[in-house]
Amino acid sequence: MADRIFAGVLLVVAIGYTIIAFTVIHAPFQYDPLGPESWPRILGLVAIPCILFILARPDVASLGLPAKTWGRLAALVVMLFGYSYLFQPLGFIIATFAFCMALSLMLGAKLVPALAFSAGIGVVGYFLCTKLLELNLPAGVLTIFR
Amino acid sequence: MDAVFSGLASGFEVALDPFNLFLVLAGCFAGTLIGALPGIGPINGVAILLPIAYGLGFKPESAIILLAGIYYGAEYGGRISSILLNVPGDAGAVMTTLDGNPMARNGEAGKALSLSAIASFVGGTFAVVLMSFFGPALASYAIHFSPSDYVALMVFAFASLASLVGSNPVKTLLAAVIGLMLASIGIDANTGVARFTFGIPDILAGIDFLVVVIGLFGMAELIHLVEQQAAGTLKTLKIDKSFVTMKDLAFVKWTILRGSMIGFFIGILPGTGASVASAVAYGAEKRAARDSSKFGEGDMRGLAAPEAANNASAGGAMVPMLTLGIPGSGTTAILLGALLLFNVTPGPLMFQQRPEIAWGLIASMYIGNVALLIINLPLVGLFARMLTIPQQFLTPLIAVLAFIGVYSVVSNPHDLYMITLLGVFGWFLRKLQFSLAPVILGFVLGGLFEDNLRRALSISGGDWSILLTSWNSVILYILALLVIVVPIVVGRMRRSRGEDESPKAPA
Amino acid sequence: MTFFRTTAALLFASVVITPAFAQEIDRPECVAPAKPGGGFDLTCRIAQQGLEKQFDGPMQVTFMPGGIGAVAINLFNTTRTDDPNAIVAFSSGSLLNMATGKYGQWGANDVRFLATAGTDYGAVIVRDDSPYKTLEDLMKALKENPGGIVMGAGGSVGSQDWMKAAILMKSEGLNPRQMRYVAFDGGGDAIAGLLGGSIQVYTGDVGEMVSHLGTGEMRILAAMSDERLPAPFADIPTAKELGYEAVWPIVRGFYMGKAVPDAAYNKWVEAFQAAYKTDEWAALVKDKGLLPLDLSGKEMDADMKKRVERMTGIAKEAGLIE
Repeated sequence: MADRIFAGVLLVVAIGYTIIAFTVIHAPFQYDPLGPESWPRILGLVAIPCILFILARPDVASLGLPAKTWGRLAALVVMLFGYSYLFQPLGFIIATFAFCMALSLMLGAKLVPALAFSAGIGVVGYFLCTKLLELNLPAGVLTIFR
Repeated sequence: MDAVFSGLASGFEVALDPFNLFLVLAGCFAGTLIGALPGIGPINGVAILLPIAYGLGFKPESAIILLAGIYYGAEYGGRISSILLNVPGDAGAVMTTLDGNPMARNGEAGKALSLSAIASFVGGTFAVVLMSFFGPALASYAIHFSPSDYVALMVFAFASLASLVGSNPVKTLLAAVIGLMLASIGIDANTGVARFTFGIPDILAGIDFLVVVIGLFGMAELIHLVEQQAAGTLKTLKIDKSFVTMKDLAFVKWTILRGSMIGFFIGILPGTGASVASAVAYGAEKRAARDSSKFGEGDMRGLAAPEAANNASAGGAMVPMLTLGIPGSGTTAILLGALLLFNVTPGPLMFQQRPEIAWGLIASMYIGNVALLIINLPLVGLFARMLTIPQQFLTPLIAVLAFIGVYSVVSNPHDLYMITLLGVFGWFLRKLQFSLAPVILGFVLGGLFEDNLRRALSISGGDWSILLTSWNSVILYILALLVIVVPIVVGRMRRSRGEDESPKAPA
Repeated sequence: MTFFRTTAALLFASVVITPAFAQEIDRPECVAPAKPGGGFDLTCRIAQQGLEKQFDGPMQVTFMPGGIGAVAINLFNTTRTDDPNAIVAFSSGSLLNMATGKYGQWGANDVRFLATAGTDYGAVIVRDDSPYKTLEDLMKALKENPGGIVMGAGGSVGSQDWMKAAILMKSEGLNPRQMRYVAFDGGGDAIAGLLGGSIQVYTGDVGEMVSHLGTGEMRILAAMSDERLPAPFADIPTAKELGYEAVWPIVRGFYMGKAVPDAAYNKWVEAFQAAYKTDEWAALVKDKGLLPLDLSGKEMDADMKKRVERMTGIAKEAGLIE
């Protein structure tokens, strides 16, 4: 079943991809006989039968994950998006601190080690990267560190 | 030949100057650390540190030697996070994860790190030796490799990757097609038409390879870790004190040599680099192996081949840049830029006008390789300890490293969302028993295949016979056929003779 | 529990963010809208080193690859329109993208052009053993059989590399669609293609030829400039003097956001004008393989807009845009 759901989603994407390849993509003029549209068309026409085959003969029945695991994974994805969202405006130190706190606590870390770890990664990581390796990381709200 | 020896002698004089020697060592060390960060490889490492090297006001040869050290170090460092975290350190280290990480999971992290350091050393040294003796000849061969020959090379690459087909061939094919589709996003290199971009400027130039690698491998691995943790099946590994033995090296010696040769050959061609080289080396090695059942589960050959290849290709890529002034890859383009910044113009004239730089640089590569081996072997134990970090801290650390790697180079928050999305997608693919390697390889090879095919057809004005007009192409097509047919035939013959096929690999 | 804690932390943090709009140039930054190591990087390095003495702090170079500059122009039209600290490197290629609508809704009027770093010119390049000894030879052969000669360069159809080949065709009254053109992935690959014999003519730049001039591998048939260039290119004829109206300058410079306050803009202009007067600037521009072109402020803004207009005309004639 899991296979089929995933294949179903892929099928929709692949059909969309193929339709775009056949209708939208077009060059005003071109010097090669294939143009920009031929290769995507071939890919679409290979992908669709492959997906139909998987729909017909799936081999992974279920992902076998309990609801609790799904919850954890959903939380992780939310945290990652939150981290992405806040990375620039809040700056590396604060965003990293918040993200590391949240994730390490969810994974069962004790509060004090988690605090020490998260603050350490945020602050040490920032200065190691920006001052020693000259990498570009956002300072965000902590503008004094710029 | 005499010119080469006298050149090398003068080069070593420059490179062994105590200050320059110190710079090589410092560069190698810093490079290893930078390379170990997922996402920051040689290109970005050199690019980021270039202004610093420039600002320090060294003599040009000293600054270039420092940058070469960083470049080499980063190339070595890329394998570390591949092996320990299953997150490729850079584009060339993708294949290293396939067998390197399983080795670490089996408690052989130390062995994997030391073996790959030695394979890297052999590959890198092999390339430098060939470069110093046959550089100009090799470069003029490389530029005669025409777009139609690249098409043949890609066919050969796909053929040697047939060995990656897993238990479900349809899923493998689909995975490769997904990679090809991802690569088709962005502006078409031939006609300039935007494809599948939906007006989003961030993907107009396509999805960056680094973003795909970090997303599909790094972030998917992160999600996988959390899943295992939630299920309670994840344990922190014990410190392993394993190290590579002479017996191991004897077992992989031909693998390393083959990987070095493949890597160097692909490296000298402009346009193909470490990622293609390591993929072909891995595929060919698995295809050539008598017993390939352990590949993907921690076979030493599957680690040694791509590591030898990607370091050999890094050396090979320097050949057209130094001898002709043609940057063949992103990495050499930035080194070319570095040389220009110091008012040194690479090309044949450099060897006459600025021999101290040309030969000093080559000599520093010999020294750099040795230095890296010396630096890396004692560090193996230290790096291996990374695995003993408790999971609740190692997991967030992977995410932070991936974010640093992706953000620090291009400063585009859009890429952070991309890696997360690709990570979710990659995790689903993994759960549903698709392998990720074909996705990545489709992504790398697809663009090269399409662009060069259409380039060849533009040259011929639409005449397809151009694909078979050069010996390079014909030989590559024959090799491609052999790579597919020979293992099947040999397998049949062996089976009919009832030969014993028990695994030869030491456990 | 965990979640409440994090959410609380995040909420707290989001309150703390207050947008701080500095109106002074306290942190000069040059945005290279590409990956490190390319032409935009070089352009920013010129600003970084050339303006060193004009500002207190060092200028930072940051990279913003994506869509050949589309990501950068998009950002400077949405969130950073009034950023007084940042200048963005651009080239004629960016102007062409504005002209042909490759930047979507953003065009030449959506940025404030600031100053130039220098200029380069197109060049018609062949291998040393080519049968075409002069530009006339080549043009004669092209006229006889427009599709008989394989031309190539480092950009796609509609890029400025292609434009150079196209206006060369047009200067002889030929249709660019009739030529045979191969798009390589960057100038390096195209030079390899020329030396390897895949293509016969390379429409590259004069500047990148410095390293190849003395090697006897390639020859420049003509420079696509209005007048003869200074040494070491003084011996190269211009296409114009040979009777072909094929001129293609490649300008490199900087723009800023549209809403940058005049005070900050003028300060940048003054900084460039002061730098232009120094010998270091001239040397720097030359070292980076460019020819001097000192334009800034309103004059420069007008000049760039004129160039975009001209490109729009060429693109229309070539059938690239409606």
